[in-house]
Amino acid sequence: MTDVKVNDMADRQKLSYIAAQAADARLNVELETEGMTLNIGPQHPATHGTLRIIVRLDGEQVIWAEPGAGYMHRGYEKLTEVRTFPQVTALVNRIDWLGSFANEVPFILAAEKLMDVEAPPRAQWIRTILFELSRIANVSLFLGDLGVQLGAITPVFMAFRDREYVLNLIESATGGRFHPNFDRIGGLKEDLPAGWITETKQVMKKLRNFCDEIDDLLFGNEIFQSRLRGIGVIPPEVAKQYGLSGANLRASGVDWDLRRDQKLPLAYDKVDFKVWTHPDGDSFARCWIRLQETREATKIVDQLLDGIPSGSVMAKVPRIIKVPEGEAWVSTENPLGEMGYYVVSKGDLGPFRVKIRSASFNNISIVPWVLRGVYVPDIISILASLYFILGDIDR
Amino acid sequence: MGLVDRGRLPAPLTTLFNLGRSYSLWVYQWGLACCAIEMGAAFGSPRYDVMRLGVIPLPASPRQADLVVISGTVTDKMAPSVKRLYEQMPEPKYVISMGSCANCGGPYWDSYSVTKGVDQIIPVDIYVPGCPPRPEALLEGIVLLQQRIKNEDMGARWRGEGTRARNAEPIVVGGGPIE
Amino acid sequence: MSDTPPQPEPTPELVHDTVREGVVSALRAALGDGLIDSVIKPNDDMWVRVSADVWQQTGRVLRDTVGCDYFCFLSAIDWLPSPYGRGEDDPTEPPPERDNTIKQGYAGGETRMQVFARVTNLSQHFGVTIKADVADVEPCVDSWVTVYAGANWHERECHEMFGIDFRGHPDLRNMYLPTDFEGHPLRKDFPLLARMVKPWPGIVDVELLPGDDTDDPAAEAEPT
Repeated sequence: MTDVKVNDMADRQKLSYIAAQAADARLNVELETEGMTLNIGPQHPATHGTLRIIVRLDGEQVIWAEPGAGYMHRGYEKLTEVRTFPQVTALVNRIDWLGSFANEVPFILAAEKLMDVEAPPRAQWIRTILFELSRIANVSLFLGDLGVQLGAITPVFMAFRDREYVLNLIESATGGRFHPNFDRIGGLKEDLPAGWITETKQVMKKLRNFCDEIDDLLFGNEIFQSRLRGIGVIPPEVAKQYGLSGANLRASGVDWDLRRDQKLPLAYDKVDFKVWTHPDGDSFARCWIRLQETREATKIVDQLLDGIPSGSVMAKVPRIIKVPEGEAWVSTENPLGEMGYYVVSKGDLGPFRVKIRSASFNNISIVPWVLRGVYVPDIISILASLYFILGDIDR
Repeated sequence: MGLVDRGRLPAPLTTLFNLGRSYSLWVYQWGLACCAIEMGAAFGSPRYDVMRLGVIPLPASPRQADLVVISGTVTDKMAPSVKRLYEQMPEPKYVISMGSCANCGGPYWDSYSVTKGVDQIIPVDIYVPGCPPRPEALLEGIVLLQQRIKNEDMGARWRGEGTRARNAEPIVVGGGPIE
Repeated sequence: MSDTPPQPEPTPELVHDTVREGVVSALRAALGDGLIDSVIKPNDDMWVRVSADVWQQTGRVLRDTVGCDYFCFLSAIDWLPSPYGRGEDDPTEPPPERDNTIKQGYAGGETRMQVFARVTNLSQHFGVTIKADVADVEPCVDSWVTVYAGANWHERECHEMFGIDFRGHPDLRNMYLPTDFEGHPLRKDFPLLARMVKPWPGIVDVELLPGDDTDDPAAEAEPT
């Protein structure tokens, strides 16, 4: 890890881009070249889904880039207006479809805030454990996909293999590999099965091995490092202006983690965990932080498993839930970043308006800014390091 | 082979061709949404390996693919791309619609921007229901497709009598076996 | 059907949230009459309503004076109750009478649509939700792009979903919808056509199930 300040990195990158353009410029004039518009996607193996990126090139450098989102727009915010609260919970699973449980939690917490109901401690702990498991499931696929997008095909098979263990755990607890739909206003749907805790501890060990393997295989590889270091530098002020969150923000040196810095009825204040930051702000920093966070998540799960309080998993709530009038905003540190729900309720069976603040929307809004002056192969590596899920961008 | 020109194919030759075709499918994954991850787990993970069925998952382009698995929600904005990519595939081609979003619109059936089922755009041979379907369900869909291909009448296809295998009804996985 | 009774609000004299009250006074000092209303939930959250003329200036004050340099999101709310109810009407029958009085939420409001945004102060760990009324006819408000660069995409989405114009935005195209899409989907009078074609079979049964005398869920919940 270098201790180069971000401003230096950003300046160095800018100067290298300008130098490259200057070197090409004379040749362009002599050869009378014209720019080319390249359309990446919407169906492309390297984008995490149907993202279309239109770039205008001058030789090998990008002059102008524009992501074209909306190919997965399913109209979530309109659909929530005609559904009841449990139906919205089921629907909302599918926004960030890799770490699905994490999508339900802020919505349920917002509804509980409006109802002035707090889930019993056991439910809060189990929610936190499942939240961290969904983070592990999500980011382990990211680490595998990272390899594929840079050309290393092996890590993705290991990622899928190790992700199966986590999905098995989630399935045995909630009934669904993906899209568990397990959270309810006031607690959880049911309690954990017998033997789940011992099983989870073993799976956490396996995942720590996986993180070490990826560390060795990918992060130690010099091709990986030279492709990612110093590429796509985002200074912290720009990151905050665009609302980047999660690992992207912490990679620019901003120490902000909603698990630690916010008081929510989840069990994060009962565990010790480290919030990883990196001063560089380049693509390597973003990927590296996610690896450390996965390891950290396994440690959090281990600590939580040791101390689950006993009790019921559901508070006393009426059978048909009508949430009283009001507005509430809850956001949590999801695997992709900060995901929040602004729930407006009018005392009905379902919400009046739900504004879904998804992390990838802000993360990708920075693409036109960050892709200027970048070479074509670096487009893919920058997008890979920013890490988005199309359902999260497009809702 | 004058037989083929006249649209008649002897049974042993049909069986041989069908056998070869069903065990050497190249799948073009049209992975759109959550089902794409389950499809990736079915195709790329060592547990639900699809290559043991003879199906190879990563063709370089749709022009080299026999089978397309449409997994995930098809929106109205994406629909022209689906149609275009389907048209780029050479005959004989098959379509598996995976997941309830691709089957009928799924949980977004009332949305203003979702196509209610990919069969509004392209003809579908196998429907795999689920949200998302387990990788084993997708593998069952592929196995059923292979059975269907083995029973296909190649002559009818070459005479131009429709792209559907013997103009049969599409199969829904979980709806019982075919002959 | 009884809800759990809400806990009594702590009386304002007992709980002081100095940080949030300081934000309100800073805004009042900078905006004067532009700050119309504010709601503070002590140690929880705060809402502020400003007039649409000072919308951009509010953003600047929040960023520079109050220190909220993190842009969370920007969107709008349409307070008109939906004329289609919850989309469960039987299309063969005439639509039932519905109450269509517009009632705004926290920090009040006077118009049907309100723009709202949220920004966060990372060092002091609080966030502010700012609302502003927009006119009913030709809704329009200043753009925040010069204040927070990330507002670019949020305003594009708000424009296509609600039809609100943002003065000064460099490129107000559709974000999600195809260019030839007609209508503004998130407005309440935009119908979901699939629900209007035939009656929806999955209407929630609000009657109690047989065997449930009261709403007491203790009968069903099994404590571990």
